[in-house]
Amino acid sequence: MGGCFGETQLPPELRLVEQQEMDLWRAEAHLYLPQVYENYKKNLSQAKRDLLEENQRFPWFRDYGPIRDEFLKLLKEGEELQQRLQIEKEKKRSALLDQFESLQEKINLLSKLTILYQGKPPLRVHLTKAELLLTEAKLLLKENRLIASEKKCPLVETHLHKVQEGLYPILARYQHPEWIAKWKRWAQETIDESRQRDIYSILIIKAEKKLILLKKGEPVKTYPVGFGKNGWLDKLQARDHATPEGKYHIIGKNPRSKYYKALLINYPNEEDRREFERLKRKGLLGKKATIGGSIEIHGGGKDHLTYGCIALDNASMEELYYKVEIGTPVTIIGARDERNSLSLALTDLQKKDEEKKNP
Amino acid sequence: MMRTMRYFLLSLMILVLLAGCGKKPTQEIESTQSAVNAVISEGLGKYAPEEEKKLKDAMAAAMDEVKVQDGKTFKNYDKAKQMLADVKKMAEEMKAALPAKKEQAKQNALSALEAAKSAVSEAKALLAKAPKGKGTAADIQALSGDVKGLEDSLAEVSGLIEKEEFSEAANKANALKEKASGVSEQIKQALEKVKGAKPAKK
Repeated sequence: MGGCFGETQLPPELRLVEQQEMDLWRAEAHLYLPQVYENYKKNLSQAKRDLLEENQRFPWFRDYGPIRDEFLKLLKEGEELQQRLQIEKEKKRSALLDQFESLQEKINLLSKLTILYQGKPPLRVHLTKAELLLTEAKLLLKENRLIASEKKCPLVETHLHKVQEGLYPILARYQHPEWIAKWKRWAQETIDESRQRDIYSILIIKAEKKLILLKKGEPVKTYPVGFGKNGWLDKLQARDHATPEGKYHIIGKNPRSKYYKALLINYPNEEDRREFERLKRKGLLGKKATIGGSIEIHGGGKDHLTYGCIALDNASMEELYYKVEIGTPVTIIGARDERNSLSLALTDLQKKDEEKKNP
Repeated sequence: MMRTMRYFLLSLMILVLLAGCGKKPTQEIESTQSAVNAVISEGLGKYAPEEEKKLKDAMAAAMDEVKVQDGKTFKNYDKAKQMLADVKKMAEEMKAALPAKKEQAKQNALSALEAAKSAVSEAKALLAKAPKGKGTAADIQALSGDVKGLEDSLAEVSGLIEKEEFSEAANKANALKEKASGVSEQIKQALEKVKGAKPAKK
């Protein structure tokens, strides 16, 4: 073995190790296993220095045996590093895919919720940015740039957090025992009144986007409905695009409405007026704020956005219009129990946040 | 005595000659290092990371050779000098090729931005066809927020290009194009839903 290689004739293992080191670098070993890779690099530098020193000796005394062993050892070390790297990357890839799935679920959930509450600052803008960043992360993963992809996830979270911050106060009502109890009471009173007086009554449940027609206290027909862009909110003033919550009755019927047929309700009622005055006194509404009115149940289509009215498909409106009359009670509530869709969505979001904090 | 003196002088001359060959190439090290630093500071790592690694490795190898000679009694830095010269040449060649690489990355980012712009414009044009205010579909109202988000992000891509973050800009623009196409599709579906139905109010 001694004197096999001249200064220009290098051990073949050196080229192999150099190639291996390049492959490891390309595979981003310096990012995934920085300490181990640094060690490997240090050993490689040492082996190269040893080779240089050996080359400096008088040719008759050169012995490349130990140098070759050093490079062989390095090759083995590099192979082990490659295997560890592969495992590390697989782990990261799988964790990233899980994270993507969880973020996508959250985006989908928030997307549904922001259809009826877009709020200010515009929550949909943040939601779109979150979705964009998630798409970026997915594209980076496709290019095998796992670390760059991973760095996008907290940015997605930041935008989603802004959406949640905007939504939580709105959705919290649908989880709050006092609100639920009040809505339950109103619903029960409406059912009882319908039973006792043997009349039709209308119960509108926002969380379910449903209008239930009651007769003798029993549901006889359920219609899907739509609201305004702030449909999840209780109406407080004119032009807030919210739908009022409370106990009302029909005060007018319009067979030739611009929106097919319409049933006018007595919003604002006494309670609405008291609440409006209270909020105004407290300075929670603008000085020029007015209470609004002309809230109707009308046709036009359940998928249409209203300014606070309740919209039905024309066929449903046709049916409903002729079943009810002036004086028919109309009760609008947020939800009829604790396990409503919005409360469940909120719980789901809170659970996801909790899981993230304590994985 | 004369003979001894002659041997002494000869040995001295040889020693002086050897010492002359063994002078550490400090100037070469400095000029090579500065050529390497120059090309790295111009963004070699950003536009050609593999080249940056090769350059750094070559510099380290040359410095290893210098260190080996540093530790010897009879130093010979000829090989180290050659290696340093090679590294310097490599750094200068890489520096010369860098503007073209930068330009290529810039063009890639700009063309990705153009594609994203046109996808966002398509979404905007579709949205413009939808009914406004009262009677619009809830989905469409929400999607207008999405389009606003897309427009904001287009500005972010332009900002990244200005900051010469071309790779990041191209990636963002590609994501933007994908999302804008999705939004266009959703707008089309929402428009289909409202077709034929009467508008709602209040």
